[in-house]
Amino acid sequence: MKLRTLLFLLLLLALAAPAWALDGQELLTKVDRNLQPESYEMHRKIINIEPNGSKKEYLLYSVKKGQDKVVALFLAPASDKGRATLRLGDNMWLYIPNVGKPLRITSLQSVVGGVFNNADILRLDYSAEYNVAAMQDKGETVLLDLKAKSGSVAYDRLKMTVDRKALVPTVLECYAVSGMLIKTLYFKELKDFGDGVKRPSVVETDSPLYKGYKSVMLYAKIKKRELADEVFTLNYLPRVESLR
Amino acid sequence: MRTKSAALLGLALLAPPAMAADFAFDPAELEGNQLAWGGYAEFKGEHSDLNQQGALRNLQLYREPRSTLDRVAAALQLDGRLTHGIAALKWVAKATAAQDDLAWYDNADLYEGFLSLKPNPNLVVDLGKKVFKWGKGYAWNPVAFIDRPKDPNDPEEALEGFIGAGFDAIRSLSGSPLQTVALTLVALPVWQGVNEEFGARGQVNLAAKLYFLLYDTDIDLIAYTGNSRSTRYGLDFSRNLTSSLELHGEVAHTPRQATQLLDGNSLLTTEVVADTSWLVGLRHLTESELTTIVEFYHNDDGYSEAEQNRFFALVDAGMAQYESTGATTLLGRAANVSQLYSRPQTGRNYLYARLSQKDPFDILYFSPGLTAIVNLDDQSWSVAPEMVYTGFTNWEARLRFNVVGGDSNSEYGEKLNRNKLELRLRYFF
Repeated sequence: MKLRTLLFLLLLLALAAPAWALDGQELLTKVDRNLQPESYEMHRKIINIEPNGSKKEYLLYSVKKGQDKVVALFLAPASDKGRATLRLGDNMWLYIPNVGKPLRITSLQSVVGGVFNNADILRLDYSAEYNVAAMQDKGETVLLDLKAKSGSVAYDRLKMTVDRKALVPTVLECYAVSGMLIKTLYFKELKDFGDGVKRPSVVETDSPLYKGYKSVMLYAKIKKRELADEVFTLNYLPRVESLR
Repeated sequence: MRTKSAALLGLALLAPPAMAADFAFDPAELEGNQLAWGGYAEFKGEHSDLNQQGALRNLQLYREPRSTLDRVAAALQLDGRLTHGIAALKWVAKATAAQDDLAWYDNADLYEGFLSLKPNPNLVVDLGKKVFKWGKGYAWNPVAFIDRPKDPNDPEEALEGFIGAGFDAIRSLSGSPLQTVALTLVALPVWQGVNEEFGARGQVNLAAKLYFLLYDTDIDLIAYTGNSRSTRYGLDFSRNLTSSLELHGEVAHTPRQATQLLDGNSLLTTEVVADTSWLVGLRHLTESELTTIVEFYHNDDGYSEAEQNRFFALVDAGMAQYESTGATTLLGRAANVSQLYSRPQTGRNYLYARLSQKDPFDILYFSPGLTAIVNLDDQSWSVAPEMVYTGFTNWEARLRFNVVGGDSNSEYGEKLNRNKLELRLRYFF
């Protein structure tokens, strides 16, 4: 009887708090899968909000394949339309229609004004770029201390607060190698996108480097999609629009 | 306590935040269109203080010498794409008109207009007028064998292409240090009325580029052959050394380069030499978003100081002849070769530096910058501070002041302008 009670309690515990059963790296992988399928297409809108309330919007279409391939294409505003960024692992390029050729860029760089930079726009899975250095139980949340696997990642350290039930991040603090806080991302408004994708549909960010400014990223039409590897190459970059 | 924090967490995740609730997607903007078009309209105003001792100012304005030149210009660029199945028709057209203190100028060109066929993601065929933009350098591209030269002061401006047929084959390889291989082949004819600016007529020229992404490094092997220009070979590379530092370089070799230059008697001669030009550059970004681009360029195709001085001496002699007799024989001879000696970067060794700070003092969309080019042989220079503001959606304003300096008989010391103030406004649609 005692054994049965113990087993029942263990089962209850496992169901009530699935994150407890995972180690840090497994938890991070779960978070990745909940945020985005391995291969998908989606639309995003970035809104930069200045301290005086004025706003500027950007519309992006992006596709991702596997662990390390992402392309994002700017659809609006007209001044940025046709710009495309490609990421293959640690490699990033920017294609500007007038310039006519892809330029190699760095992950810290921002292709739009505002708090989001390339690494946020062309984000790979967190587990592909970071190791879990420490994990702290905070009751309803778990705090993951993430350390970059290589020096070519935009943020050397991340502090990710994960909602234990939904297994998605709620707050993400991004730090430079120097220990300086570069920005904080707030994940909000959980939404079911279909195809088993249920994730925050809004990410807000602020930064001590941009006092008083905020940027918001909205997500729409996240769909699983299989694409050829060749879509994620420099030669294909000027033709990304044809995928829509 | 736990219940309270859980409730707060739930609110944060589920409640639509006031800020985000203000924004939504328009369903129409999420759909792709068969026809897409856009472009920009531009207004530009310029004031130049002319270099009154400069050879190029004397050569161009000896009949009506002046100290300043004002200019207003307007431009319209239209680009677009029409897609149907595997085919896409793409175009870029530009029209410009300008009025300065001396004359009216206007021009309209199709910069690009080509049909692109993409039967699958591995293969693309392009037919028509197209820009290729080969090379990794920011200010200069010695390996851009089938492109028109770009302006190092405005390297991101659109260029006019050449008419030809291109073929792209791409192959991605997973799980190996060699991630991508791509082959680009281009056939470029030069006939009467077709690509005549490229070189000798009655020829079909071939160019090839083999691209590798190997050990996270972009590498291009490039070759050009044909009778419109002499055969040449090139290599370029680009690599991110850290998350904030990029290294790039190019080298181009032409075994038999025909170079036109003035001899000791001020007569135009042609010499055939082996020519190896190269470039190495860095791009660095700080945490506070200061971008620095530095490039060193060895232009083997350029003139030595002595060769350049022959041109300046010819203009000086021409001016002396004109002022004493009214004859323009020598100035006419100088004018005939001025295209060779007044093109951007006629020297052999250059240093280029560009610094631009994104959003300084918390001013979003504001980018002050500074571009400097130094001719390392004669120590003449060009410096151009600028301010760019893009805060109003689809508008871009750029204010730039360009000042040049150098001794007499130096490249920048003999330029037409001593300085130029330029305001450029663009509206994108």
